[in-house]
Amino acid sequence: MSSLVRPETPFVSAAEDRIAAATQLQLTWWRFRKHRLAVVSGIVVILFYLIVIFADFLAVTPPHATDAARSYIPPQAVHWFDQDGSFKPHVYALKGRRDLRTFKLHYAPDPTDRRYLVWFAEGYRYRLFGIFETKTHIVGLDRGVPEDALFLLGTDQLGRDVWSRLMLATRTSLTIGLVGVSLSLFLGIFLGGISGLYGGAIDTVIQRVIEILRSIPTIPLWMGLAAALPNSWSVTQVYIAITVIISLIGWTELARVVRGRFLALREEDFITAAELAGASRLRIIFRHMVPSFLSHIIAAVSLALPAMIISETTLSFLGLGLRPPAISWGVLLQDAQNLQAIAMAPWLLLVAVPVVIVILAFNFLGDGLRDAADPYG
Amino acid sequence: MATKSPILAALALGLTIAIGTASGALAQASLEQSGLVGRPEGITIITDQAQWPKSFNEAPQLAELVKQGKLPPVKDRLPQDLMVIKPVKEIGKYGGTWRRGFTGPGDNENGNRINASDRPMLVDHTGAVVNPSLAKSWKMSDDGKTFTLNLRRGLRWSDGTPMSADDFVFWFEDIYSNKDILPVGIADMTPDGKPGKIVKVDDHTVNFVFDVPFYLFETLMSGDTLIGGGQAVRQSNKGSFGAYAPAHYLKKFLPKYTPGGVDAANTAAKAEGFDNWVSRLHFKKDWTLNTEVPVLGPFRTVQPINNAVWVMERNPFYWAVDTAGNQLPYLDRVTMTLAENLEVLNLRAMAGDFDLQERHIDLGKLPVLLENQQRGKYKVHLDLALNGTDAIYHFNQTYDADPEIAKWLRSTDFRRALSLAIDRKQLNETFWLGVAVPGSTAPGEVLPYFPGPGWREKWSTFDQKQANELLDKIGLTKKDEQGFRVRTDNGQRLRLQIQAVQAFLPWPKISEMVADQWAKVGIQADVRDTERSLAMTRTQNNEHQIMVWNNGGTELLYLFPRHAIPVDPTEAYMGPEHAKWYNSGGRLGKKPEDPNILKILELFTAASGQKAEDRIKTAQEIWKILIDQQYSIGTVGQSPALMGVRLVSERLGNIPSRNCIAQHCRTPGGAHPETWFYKN
Amino acid sequence: MLTYILQRLGLALVTIWAISVISFVIIQLPPGDFVDAYIANLSASGSVVSQQQAQSLRQLYGLDQPVWVQYWKWISRVVQGDFGPSMEWGRPVTEVIGDRLWLTVVVSISAILLTWGIALPIGIYSAVRQYSVADYAFTLVGFIGLAVPNFLLALVIMYFGFVLFDLNIGGLFSAEYQLAPWSWGKALDLMRHLPLPAMILALAGTAQLIRIMRANLLDELRRPYVATARARGLPEWRVIVKYPVRAALNPFASTIGYLLPFVVSGSIVVSLVLSLPTVGPLLLRALIAQDMFLAGTIVLLLGVLTVVGTFISDLILMWIDPRIRAGIHG
Repeated sequence: MSSLVRPETPFVSAAEDRIAAATQLQLTWWRFRKHRLAVVSGIVVILFYLIVIFADFLAVTPPHATDAARSYIPPQAVHWFDQDGSFKPHVYALKGRRDLRTFKLHYAPDPTDRRYLVWFAEGYRYRLFGIFETKTHIVGLDRGVPEDALFLLGTDQLGRDVWSRLMLATRTSLTIGLVGVSLSLFLGIFLGGISGLYGGAIDTVIQRVIEILRSIPTIPLWMGLAAALPNSWSVTQVYIAITVIISLIGWTELARVVRGRFLALREEDFITAAELAGASRLRIIFRHMVPSFLSHIIAAVSLALPAMIISETTLSFLGLGLRPPAISWGVLLQDAQNLQAIAMAPWLLLVAVPVVIVILAFNFLGDGLRDAADPYG
Repeated sequence: MATKSPILAALALGLTIAIGTASGALAQASLEQSGLVGRPEGITIITDQAQWPKSFNEAPQLAELVKQGKLPPVKDRLPQDLMVIKPVKEIGKYGGTWRRGFTGPGDNENGNRINASDRPMLVDHTGAVVNPSLAKSWKMSDDGKTFTLNLRRGLRWSDGTPMSADDFVFWFEDIYSNKDILPVGIADMTPDGKPGKIVKVDDHTVNFVFDVPFYLFETLMSGDTLIGGGQAVRQSNKGSFGAYAPAHYLKKFLPKYTPGGVDAANTAAKAEGFDNWVSRLHFKKDWTLNTEVPVLGPFRTVQPINNAVWVMERNPFYWAVDTAGNQLPYLDRVTMTLAENLEVLNLRAMAGDFDLQERHIDLGKLPVLLENQQRGKYKVHLDLALNGTDAIYHFNQTYDADPEIAKWLRSTDFRRALSLAIDRKQLNETFWLGVAVPGSTAPGEVLPYFPGPGWREKWSTFDQKQANELLDKIGLTKKDEQGFRVRTDNGQRLRLQIQAVQAFLPWPKISEMVADQWAKVGIQADVRDTERSLAMTRTQNNEHQIMVWNNGGTELLYLFPRHAIPVDPTEAYMGPEHAKWYNSGGRLGKKPEDPNILKILELFTAASGQKAEDRIKTAQEIWKILIDQQYSIGTVGQSPALMGVRLVSERLGNIPSRNCIAQHCRTPGGAHPETWFYKN
Repeated sequence: MLTYILQRLGLALVTIWAISVISFVIIQLPPGDFVDAYIANLSASGSVVSQQQAQSLRQLYGLDQPVWVQYWKWISRVVQGDFGPSMEWGRPVTEVIGDRLWLTVVVSISAILLTWGIALPIGIYSAVRQYSVADYAFTLVGFIGLAVPNFLLALVIMYFGFVLFDLNIGGLFSAEYQLAPWSWGKALDLMRHLPLPAMILALAGTAQLIRIMRANLLDELRRPYVATARARGLPEWRVIVKYPVRAALNPFASTIGYLLPFVVSGSIVVSLVLSLPTVGPLLLRALIAQDMFLAGTIVLLLGVLTVVGTFISDLILMWIDPRIRAGIHG
């Protein structure tokens, strides 16, 4: 901005000055901040990704530890205050019996057998951040192993702790979502950009391919591809393959948005100005075009993530996506998808709660980002 | 849900059982106390002609048709050699529609079994005694080379045409021997590789003639086999097996009886919308699809199976009466409604939408089913099966993709160790609600084939210490940092693959628990939850390491051996290549190197020429080898998991308190649905 | 403009052909074929299936020939209107689908009507009474409908409906009416069964629609002409309904085309859970059983519907937006 002349206009306040001088990014941020719901959602999302990073730390029992004696235990009550009134959270150990008339399992807490909660206790071994080997978990018991007495969200049919599995499921599902979206993003920007920038025959071909891909019903596509995966692949490899499969569909929407933006921007005055000023193609794209639609892309991405999560959940439900022994939201929800679970172990349905929260959070976040990115759109 | 004063409730009922500490025997005894398991009971067949009824009655609808002249009178419809049945409880009343659920055109067994009496012989409610059914008597010659069936005189097809020995000869000469329909013969008719034949003695006597002694044939005829199964099951779903067929109806669809031969037959077939005369024949002989084909069972199809509702109606020429002379069946109709998924089917059962349903009912839902008895107006019965294991772990003896894994799969001590590492009581409690019997793959103790005391427990108890010792002994001593044993070839973790299908039992989940138990002795197993047909394809291609299934049918080893020994390439999880070798007479597949497997196959082959007592001893020997070698690890069995959870409407009468659950019992056919009736 | 239409038509045909190839390939992808699936099924129910039976079945269905031969045979028949037999159901594909297709249409259209019927008024109300308690409340409820996986909801609602209210379970007809020919009674029975599936299906779409309607209407209400109308003294409701609402509905017009494929495929998973006799579960069964002709035909059908839908949407858009007609923006 020129420093030669300062116009003496009494109507320009300091705030407006700041606005006039702010970069695109700062403007976006300020508009975003005004959307309180979106900000809260952003915080929620960050919290969830913290869970992703600290999943093993937050889990308390080994996720595959089975025991018939712990089958279908309902969530346990945590008693926060001890008999003498002091703050010493504890739980009662449980004894289980099966009633032979009704064949139902009954668990009775034993008030004489108290297990006190210990923070940062020792549990199963894992690698923090994938590097540091440690045994510390957020909570444990003073006596005995957590898997025998601590049931924050109850257990499933095989006696596995739901809370711990939920933590690990969150990691898997959110990571798939992220990886899937990144892949879609890359393909979308790349192909959509080429389409919009160069136009003509390339544009037509890419558009047709997009249309064909969008016309294929996704479920048969998933089924065919999922069934074609070789038997010898490990769970991790299958997981990556599923992610790739999901994102192969998702990129089309992003590509359309990008293409639309490129087309619109091509005609803008400031681009023409840059071209006239002699800027190279590459510089035009990255210095001028990309920043102006970056926020759109971010908004589109945060709206695409919930779709990815629902895809994974649905695929796993149909038995096509991740399967046990992998742990994801979809896999956990499948455990709940039967009459005996709904009737006798409804706490298994609690897995739906984080799914709902995350999807809502991403939706509000995406809305907020989109509104902030383009106040005129 | 477990919240309201559970201790008090438990104490009050006094019928609870502490989890994890119950032994198999205690669990079974307690099962008796639950009041859900009845006593085996069934019909009685009256063979003494002096006690037969002299006058007969029929259903009102049929009486009406007789009056209109559309049906001959009931006395003429019944055979001279009557089947007189004393129902299990009382004489019934005519009327009513039996409502049932089915899962689609592939579920034809649902209806086949109801018509199970359309075969020459049918076992009784204990599964041990063979009763006459279509045939009134039979005899195996002393040299074992001729089996004679005596048919009922006066027996008629459902369209009134008399049935005779000609129908058996027709099947043999025009269907079985026609290479266009059946390219290869069946083992049931080919002892020692020498094909047998069917010969007519007179209108009501048929001989099955063989070149070598084939005493086993009598047992084969009485089971659910390719030769003895009966028209309903053996000629539906594109099967063309025996041992008889409606000659008068099917002849016109064969080129042999069509002027113009094959070409004319093909033209006629194409005109009706079929590709060729063979595919037309497959349709025409299928009682579930073709409403016109004559049948011999109590019910015939009036609306085919490939609709949303499959409807069957009474066969007016059914050849059995009760002791009061009432022509059976009592029920007018059977309607089966389609349920797209099992949850909905079970929910409908709970709502009381079905009158008697044992098929597709999930044992895991037992508590909910019990809860809804009043609302659905039904009673739950638990019927226990006779087979040793509902979840059997077959170790593929011909696996060769990974030499190190192949070595261990073939190591007897390795298998024994893994068997000892399984905590069967845990599995029983979690998946069978504690009602099954833990142990080896041996058939139920009540059967003569049971190898003897000690063989239920052999290598099939929970002994981690011995498991670890065995694994150490065979050289898997080194472990990685997480405690898993490593391979001897490259020092990496030893990983086994368990292929599990989600079918009638939750095998993937069961395998997860098994894998967790194996992890405790340092063996890592990866469970592959595979889709069914994919799994079958892979097993046939010898790609699997360990496959989970159940061994139903093996309780009568000679009738359905495929889940015990590798003899049938269609399904031979314990060694597809061995099965190919056996079945092709040595031309295909691989010859077993393990002398024990060779011995088993030798014993099995020899059995067909042995008389009953010797055959039973042979079977016991085979089981002893199988259990001692643990090619297939048994977990828990003799349970109600498969067709053993029976929901019966309060309105139905003559329902036995306990059904026989076994392949040859043709559940629920063995309980004679033609004697069931509605009390109101 | 005619050239534009012809061009789009030509491209649409090419797309449909590409879809047919891809559909066929996808269905053939899993190892094994229908006979394998069929044998697996029979074995599972304890039936005895021999190798000979399997081989003759393969010959019968032409499954022993290379994939491209099978494709060519199939597509040449399809073009003539012969969609082949369903191997599982033993009836022509057209019959099997036909039975279910119009039921699918009924269910989906009910869902769509329900969605629009609920979402539009709420969307309008939310826009008009922006930031009110009701606005937030509706938005929240709508979002929960969007976020909860609807198949989960289906089973839970079905069970509790049964336990608490004795509601009919799954399917579209009660036992008595399933067999009966069409009559008023049967039609009424169908209508009594529709609300549950329609509601579950509608839930997700409702939230989306509310948001879009609300956003569009808000944009319109900010326009100068609205202020003018108010200043001119028009009653409030007329101010809203006469122009803004109609303008806000414009963008929806172009999405009508997409309703076509949704009508058939949008409900697959929920239909499965609720055991509705619609095309969705049929497709899934066919895929699992590798019932080639049935699965291939349904997938082709869905693809064609999508292409036709897009085509219609483009036409409508072109008609509405004069800029496209003038060819300024491609």
